[in-house]
Amino acid sequence: MNAYTANSISALITRRARVGIFAAFVLSALGACTSTTVDEFRQGATGIETGESIVILGRRHASDYETRAEFVDCVGERITSGNDSISVIPERDFIDAMFPWFEPRTAPLRTRDLERLMAEQVVAQKMEDFGVRYIVWLDGFTETSGRTGSISCTVGPGGAGCFGFGSWEDDSNFDARVWDVASLQNVGTISTDATGQSYLPALVIPIPLIARVEANACVRLADQLKQFVNGE
Amino acid sequence: MKTTVLNLRNAVAFLAGALLLMSCGVSNVVIQGSYPSPNVASLPIDVAVVYDEALRSFHYIEYSETGNEEYNIASGESHIALFNAVLPAMFNSVVTVDSVEEAQALGVDAIFVPAIDEFQLALPNKTKLDVFEVWIRYNMRLLAEDGAPIADWVLTSYGKTPTENLRGTTTAINEAAVVALRDLASSFSLSFGQVPEVRDWLAARQ
Repeated sequence: MNAYTANSISALITRRARVGIFAAFVLSALGACTSTTVDEFRQGATGIETGESIVILGRRHASDYETRAEFVDCVGERITSGNDSISVIPERDFIDAMFPWFEPRTAPLRTRDLERLMAEQVVAQKMEDFGVRYIVWLDGFTETSGRTGSISCTVGPGGAGCFGFGSWEDDSNFDARVWDVASLQNVGTISTDATGQSYLPALVIPIPLIARVEANACVRLADQLKQFVNGE
Repeated sequence: MKTTVLNLRNAVAFLAGALLLMSCGVSNVVIQGSYPSPNVASLPIDVAVVYDEALRSFHYIEYSETGNEEYNIASGESHIALFNAVLPAMFNSVVTVDSVEEAQALGVDAIFVPAIDEFQLALPNKTKLDVFEVWIRYNMRLLAEDGAPIADWVLTSYGKTPTENLRGTTTAINEAAVVALRDLASSFSLSFGQVPEVRDWLAARQ
């Protein structure tokens, strides 16, 4: 390979890199946006006293999906931070302490089941020890669809690079059902639906422009849930 | 430049060789998890438990579509850890023995002998589903202090873990198996007294 050819390849890569970065900025301005809708359905009065806590649990009884523990943690962390923060018992600590009553196959699906469960002295005692006022059941998942485009990468003596374009859509749907442990009633449901288009342009280097769909669903759901439990 | 090209060729050849070797070998998975003690009412009976060699050394081999050994899953020790966490909460006292004969000599109220009948693994690349799944079928036997059978029943357990969590296959298999073992612990501890023969035996003791 002579110096002329090497310089030409280098110049070509630089030009393509500039085009790639420009395209990335254009696409980031146009795309990778997320739209989120939150619906609240209140069925009873709420409020939480000092010393009381909530526990957020993911539903995992369905055969084709399960609520991710990472999403449950995300909502919990958001609720324990900022103004009007609420004490949240970590999901794993609660499930282990209550074993075997909150496993995927044994967890109460309706408030009637919770009523039966609270008749077990050991369960009622553990609930009191934890200071649980509300149980929040998170149920949902994020689905990816509409994958289009292709990207190919090559490696050669002169360098390496990827070229192409890919995009996909993410859709997060989560419901939060709030059970009042004191009244053994379902006091409300908050639903979140977030959608967003992600892009992956590759001109020499792939530049991911990821729509933070699940993260946005987490933030919006947690903020609404915090207000709901505080009775606002 | 020549040196760079040679180095690149060597690296590619090395990577190809390593991948070839990896694709030929079997991946060993030793199931590891922690199992909490169940919050259930303790039965007033003294039990001896026998973990036979088949349970202690239980392993399952998953074969690839070409018939090669793909995963070797050892779950015997994890099952013993599970029963050791569950049984003391269920009974007045539990002692581990090596054989039924040894248990008979101790004069306990009952002898418990768990066994694994079948283990099944479902991998996403074969089922085209987005989950790793583990099914386990058990044969549970409860014997009287003289070794006579009290109850002999089948329990099944199921565990799954989604593929979307960015983990390796062996980690996902371990997580699905641990969920299945917890499922066993919950159904065993909650249903033990409901097994008809066990229920009758317990009622006759009162």
